Amino acid sequence: MLVLDAVTFAYPGAPLYSFAMEAAPGEITAIRGASGSGKSTLLDLIAGFLAPISGRVVIESQDVTALKPEQRPVSILFQSETLFEHLSAARNVALGLFHSDWATVTAALTEVGLPDIGAQRASTLSGGQKQRVALARTLLRNKPVLLLDEPFSALDDETRATTRTLVQSLTQKHKWATLLVTHHADDISAIADRVYLLKDQMLAR
Amino acid sequence: MYRLALAFAALLALAQPATAQDKPTLTIYTYDSFAAEWGPGPGLKSGFEASCTCTVDYVAAEDAISALRRVQLEGPATKADLVVGLDNFTAGEARATGLFTPHGVDTSGLALTWSDQDFVPFDYGYFAYVYDKTKTPNPPTSFEQLIALPPSFKIVLMDPRSSTPGLGNVVWIKAAYGDRAPEIWAGLKPHILTMTRGWSEGYGLFLKGEADMALSYSTSPAYHAIAESDDKYGAAIFSEGQIAQIEISGILKSSPHQDLARQFLAYMSSAAGQKVIPTTNWMFPVVDLGADLPAAFGTPPAKILPVDEAAVTANSKAWIEEALAAIR
Amino acid sequence: MPRSADHGANLAIPRRPLRLLGGAAIALGIAVLIVVLFGSILAAANGQPAGSADIGWLIYISILQAALSTIFSLIVGIALAWALNRLRFPGRNLVIGLFASAIVTPGLVVAFGLLSVWGRSGWLGGLGLPIFGLGGVVAAHIILDGAFAARVLLARLDTIPEARLKTGQSLALDSWTRFAIIDWPALRGTLPGLAAIIFLLAFTSFPIVLLLGGGPSVQTLEVAIYSAVRLDFDLALAVKLALIQIGVCSAIILASSALMPISSSLDRPVEPRWRDGQATRLLQYAILTLALLGFASPLAAVLADGVVGLPDVLAQPAFWTSVLTSLWIGTASSTLALTLALTIASARAATASRTARTILGAPAYAYLAVPAVALSLGAFLFIRNLGIAPDLAAPIVVVIANALLSLPFAMATLAPPLDAIARSRGKLIRSLGLSGTRQFLDVEWPLIARDAGLVLALGFCFSLGDLGVIALFGTQDFVTLPLLMSRALGAYRTHDAASIAALMLVLTIAAFVTLPLLFERLSRARS
Repeated sequence: MLVLDAVTFAYPGAPLYSFAMEAAPGEITAIRGASGSGKSTLLDLIAGFLAPISGRVVIESQDVTALKPEQRPVSILFQSETLFEHLSAARNVALGLFHSDWATVTAALTEVGLPDIGAQRASTLSGGQKQRVALARTLLRNKPVLLLDEPFSALDDETRATTRTLVQSLTQKHKWATLLVTHHADDISAIADRVYLLKDQMLAR
Repeated sequence: MYRLALAFAALLALAQPATAQDKPTLTIYTYDSFAAEWGPGPGLKSGFEASCTCTVDYVAAEDAISALRRVQLEGPATKADLVVGLDNFTAGEARATGLFTPHGVDTSGLALTWSDQDFVPFDYGYFAYVYDKTKTPNPPTSFEQLIALPPSFKIVLMDPRSSTPGLGNVVWIKAAYGDRAPEIWAGLKPHILTMTRGWSEGYGLFLKGEADMALSYSTSPAYHAIAESDDKYGAAIFSEGQIAQIEISGILKSSPHQDLARQFLAYMSSAAGQKVIPTTNWMFPVVDLGADLPAAFGTPPAKILPVDEAAVTANSKAWIEEALAAIR
Repeated sequence: MPRSADHGANLAIPRRPLRLLGGAAIALGIAVLIVVLFGSILAAANGQPAGSADIGWLIYISILQAALSTIFSLIVGIALAWALNRLRFPGRNLVIGLFASAIVTPGLVVAFGLLSVWGRSGWLGGLGLPIFGLGGVVAAHIILDGAFAARVLLARLDTIPEARLKTGQSLALDSWTRFAIIDWPALRGTLPGLAAIIFLLAFTSFPIVLLLGGGPSVQTLEVAIYSAVRLDFDLALAVKLALIQIGVCSAIILASSALMPISSSLDRPVEPRWRDGQATRLLQYAILTLALLGFASPLAAVLADGVVGLPDVLAQPAFWTSVLTSLWIGTASSTLALTLALTIASARAATASRTARTILGAPAYAYLAVPAVALSLGAFLFIRNLGIAPDLAAPIVVVIANALLSLPFAMATLAPPLDAIARSRGKLIRSLGLSGTRQFLDVEWPLIARDAGLVLALGFCFSLGDLGVIALFGTQDFVTLPLLMSRALGAYRTHDAASIAALMLVLTIAAFVTLPLLFERLSRARS
C-alpha cells in the first residue's frame, strides 16, 4: 500500500501543492490531469527527487519521507530516456543489481515477451520494446511500488494496448501498487482500478 | 593530492645520494648550448678527463645568468665548483655576490690583456649587425648611417632584459654616444622590426629573410662559411667601434675541489682547450691559435670600445630604461 | 519539471560524496602547491624591498591584446565549428585533428610557420600583410586558439540531440534561425570557459609576443616578471608582479565560472541528414577553405621547412633519446592530467551548488594564471628546501607541471558531458541505485571515452611543448624534443630545429587523429 499523508510542496514563488491519496497492491491507480497540473511533481515527491514541505509518504506501513531516491522501494518507468541507449538490452536490465546472470535476465525479458533481444543495443529497439525492457528491469528489482510517467504516450495504438495489458497482468501477478500518470482517457478506462484527478494543486477522486 | 603526495614520496626516494665514486667530480654550472653535444662542453670534458683522473659533470641552465642565479639561490650548499659562461656584462654582478674566489690561473700568456683576479676568459666576440651580402651589397658602416636609411630597411634586435646581445647593444650605443644614446635609439625605432626574447629567435627571423640585418656577432658569418659552405653573410663593422663580449668563468668559494677547478680553467685557456672553441662556440679563442683558427673568422675589428664593468653594473638598468623609453 | 537545481539539496542528481571528496582534495592540493611555491620564493627574497615597474601600462597592453585575441578566436572558432559540423568530405577527421593540434604546437613553431607564409620573404609575402606588431600577435593567437575553440565547439554541435534537429528540419528553419535556436544554445554553455582559457593563454603568452610584438610597446606582465627574476634578481618584485597577474587572471576565471550554465545536452554524434541551403553551403565551404589556408598553411610551412634537415636529424642519437624522453613524459603527464580532470569534473557534476562548483573548478586554471618563471623558481626552491637534487626531480616536476598545464583544457572537454550525464540521467541513475563505480563504467565512460582520448592527446602534446618550468634545474641528460629544438636554434642549427619542429607537429597531429578514435573503439568494444 502506498499512502500520501497530507504531503505539501511548493516551488519558490509558486502556489502550494497539497496531495493526499492511497494506492492498493495489485491495483492500478491512475492520476489524471492537464499538462502542467503537477503530475510529474507528484511522482518526484513519491520517488524522492523532491522533498515535501510537510506530510508523509508511506509505503507498506513504512514512512519513507526521509529516504533518498535510491533507498525507496519504488520503481519508475519514465516517458522517455528510460534506458541507456549505448548499452545492450540485457545490460540495461541488469544495471545496478548485484546478482544477475544471463538466465535471470532472459527470464525477465521472456516474461515481458522479448526473449531474444538481450544482446541488442537499446538504441536499436522500438519505443514499445524499450518500455518492455524497462518493465523487465522492474521485475528483477521487484519493488512494491511502480510509478509510470506517461509510459504509453509515444506508442502506436496497437503497441499501446498490448503494453497496457502487460502492465496490468504484471501488477496483478506481483501485487504491485502501480501508479499511472496519464492524460489519456482510454488508458484509464482500459486498466485503471481507481482514478484521481489532479486539479488546482489538489488530488480528488 | 594523493597522487601528488605519491609523486613527492617518489622524489624523496630518488633523493638518496648517488653511489660514492673514487674519482672526484668537478661540477660545472653553465649554459645550455655550451653543454650541448655540438657545443664546446663535450670536447673540453673529454680533453680534461684524459689527464685529471676526475669526472667533469655539466649542469646546464637556460643561460649563464640562470646558472648564476641558481648558485645564488643555493648559497654555500651549492654542488657547483665552477660557473662557466658569464661575461663582462655580468661580471660585476657576479663579483658582488661574494661567492667567487680568486682563480689563481696564470693569464699572462693570453692574447687578451687580462688582469681580473676573479674570472678567467675563455672566448670573446664582437657584437655586430649581420647582413646578407646578396641583398645588401652596401651595408651601413655606422649607427648614424643605419638611421639615415629609409624605414623599409629593417633590423631585428633582442630584448635587453632577456638577452645578452640585447644588453650588449644597449651598452654599445651608450659607450659610443653617451648622452646622445636616446637620440640614436629614437632614430633606430622605425627600423626595428621586432625585439625578440633571445638571440636564437631573432637571428632565426633574419635567416628567414624577415629583416635586412640582425644583431649578432662578428663571427656569425664564419659559422655559415664553415658549417654550411655559405659565404653570403657578412658582419657590418661600424666606425664608432665595436664592443666585445668576453665569456668568463669563475671558481666558487664553497667548492671542495678548487685545485681541480683551477686546473680545468688553465686547461680551457690553454692552446689545447682553446682549439675546441672556434668551431663549437663560434667565438674568437683567447690565445693565438695561428693556423688552427679557420680563416673564415677573419681578424677582429680595428676599433674596439672599452666596457667599464663598474659603470655597467651600476647603470645597466637605467640605460635599458632609457633605450626602451626612446623606442616605446 | 522540477526547477530545484539551485535551491536546497538536489535530489535529482546522483549523490557521490567520494567524488566530491576526491575533487576537493585535488583542488586543495593544487592551491596548496601554488601557495607553497610562492612561499618558497618569498622566503628566498628574504624581505628585500621590491623595485618598481610600469605596471599600469603593462596591464593595459596585456589586457587589450588578450581581449582582442579572445574575441577574434571565438568568432573564428564558432564559424569554423559551424562549417565543419555541416560539411562532410574526405579527410574531415584529419582536418579536425589538424585544427585541434594547433593549440599544443609550440608557439614559436607556429609563429615561424606564420612567417613562412605571410612574412616578407614568405609564400604570400607579396601581399604585404602587417605581421609584426599587435596585428601579428593577435593573428598568431587566433591560429593557435581559434582552431582549438573550433574543435571544442564542434564537439558540442555534433552532440545536438537528433530529435531537436528533426524538429527543426521539419519546420524548415532557414540557416540563420537554425543557428540561432538550435546551434547557439548548444554552444553558449561552452563559451565562457573557452573564452577564459583563450584570454589566459593570450594574457600570459610570452615567446609569441616577443617575437612578433614589434618592440617594447607590446609587452606582457610575464616579460616584466621574467626580467625581474633574471636581470635584477628582484624576487620581491617578481612575486608582486606575479600576484597582480594572478589577480587579473583569477577575476577572469571566477567571472567565467559564474557565467557558465550547466550543460545538459548529451547525445552521440549523428550523421547529419539536414543540409543547409545552397548559398549557406557555399559560405561554409568558403569558411573552411579560408581556415585551411589560414591555419593549415603555417603548419604546412613548418613541415616543408623541416624536410631539408631531416636526414641529419634522424641520424643523431641525441634525437632518438629525446624522442623517448618526450614519449614517456607525454604519456605520464597526460595520464595524470586525465585522472585529475576526471576527478575534478565528476566532483563538479555531483553538486548543484555554484560556490562548490567554482571552488572545485578554479584551481584547475592555476597553471595558466601563474607566471611560468615564478612557477619554475618556486619549484626549484621548494625541491631544494626538501633536500632533493634538482636534476633528479626535474622529470617529475615536468610531469606535474605539464599535467597542470593541460588541466584547464581537459576540464573544458570533460566537464560538460559529465555534467550532462548527471543532469539528464540523474533520476534514472538514482532510481536504479547505481553505485559510483557502475555509474562510471556503464554510463559515463562509454559516453566520454572519445573525449578522454582527446584529453590524452592534449596532455601528451602539451608536454612536448613546455619546459619553462625546469629552466633552472640543470638538464644535462634530460632532453625533450622542444629543448633539443631550442638548443639547435641557439647554436645556429636552424635546419635541425626546423626538422625537429616538423616531427613534433607530425607526432601531435597523429596523436589528435588517432587517440580519440582509438578510445571510442575501445569503449564500444566492451559495452
